[in-house]
Amino acid sequence: MDVSHSIRERTIAENSLVILLQGLHGQVTTVDLRDESTARGSVINVDAFMNIRLEKVLYRDRRGRVSSMDDLFITGRNVRYVHIPDSMNIIETIETQLAKIHRVRNFGASGGRKEYSKKK
Amino acid sequence: MVVLKSLHPPSEGVRLQQADTTAVLDGKRLGSGTLFVAEAHLSWFDGSGMGFCLEYPSISLHAISRDLSAFPEEHLYVMVTAELDDEAEAEQQDKASDDEESDSDSEDSGTITEIRFVPSDKAALEPMFSAMCDCQALHPDPDDADTDDDDYEGEEYDVEEAEQEQGRGQGDIPTFYTYEEGLSHLTSEGQATLDRLEGMLAQSVAQQYHMAGVRTDVPSVEFEDGMEVDSSTVTGQFDDADVDHW
Repeated sequence: MDVSHSIRERTIAENSLVILLQGLHGQVTTVDLRDESTARGSVINVDAFMNIRLEKVLYRDRRGRVSSMDDLFITGRNVRYVHIPDSMNIIETIETQLAKIHRVRNFGASGGRKEYSKKK
Repeated sequence: MVVLKSLHPPSEGVRLQQADTTAVLDGKRLGSGTLFVAEAHLSWFDGSGMGFCLEYPSISLHAISRDLSAFPEEHLYVMVTAELDDEAEAEQQDKASDDEESDSDSEDSGTITEIRFVPSDKAALEPMFSAMCDCQALHPDPDDADTDDDDYEGEEYDVEEAEQEQGRGQGDIPTFYTYEEGLSHLTSEGQATLDRLEGMLAQSVAQQYHMAGVRTDVPSVEFEDGMEVDSSTVTGQFDDADVDHW
């Protein structure tokens, strides 16, 4: 998953645990929603607002009915829990994600010409 | 909850428009119409111009459902939740849906409405889904305590910090700006310096200009009066000069 192109999103991610969720790219996880339904699928993207995109999803609604969805987008506001796979090293994932953001920010600094990222 | 009203389709910010799309609201088919995925709202209109409009913050999730056991056709599934503090709406929904559905018992998250958009062109499902994702991202949760305007300033400090860190070994490398960016970063001192330098540059070019004539190493500034004399005697002397100045 690429680092977000938005400075604002990178800064928000850097300062919150959302950055951990962004390291879940490709992993199969279960997301519990506020309304007590759950969605299990592979993480395609998580943005700084915790909006989560999953694919190949098994969605169980709050009444227990299961259906499968190809592509699912959950609004960040409606996320209650995200299950981190046991196999994942949380600290390492956070550090890797932080390093990605710093690489983007310092792009070119060691070479001489620094890109000043300015929103126009 | 969603009553069909006579509304106007959105005129701007329309990311996607999908005709021949049936809307199914909580299991009730509303017929075929056109879905508009606009940046401000999500709306759908049937053939007679009646329709409904959804606000993105009220949409909890949306998905492409190809599971025919859940619903007989492939469709775009949208779940709409009433806000917790929107008591009036929740009450209204409870009253309206009491006889129809048994799940109107008050949930923590309020009443939920399921809407399915069934396009006749199934290939449109992915663009519909993507357009909705894009528009959802435009409406981040306003209640989220983490989203601070200070974040912008945080970014700038980080940049400088990073420069200092890097400066241990490579502090001599200057930061380059484009002309416009550079100008906007000038302090008044900087502007004065720039003016002086530009003035000096202008003078030195003027010197080159006059070097094409009689005077060679004498600065033109000292002979301001003499310049008039020069111009009368050497008119046309500089016609072949390449210096295109002022």
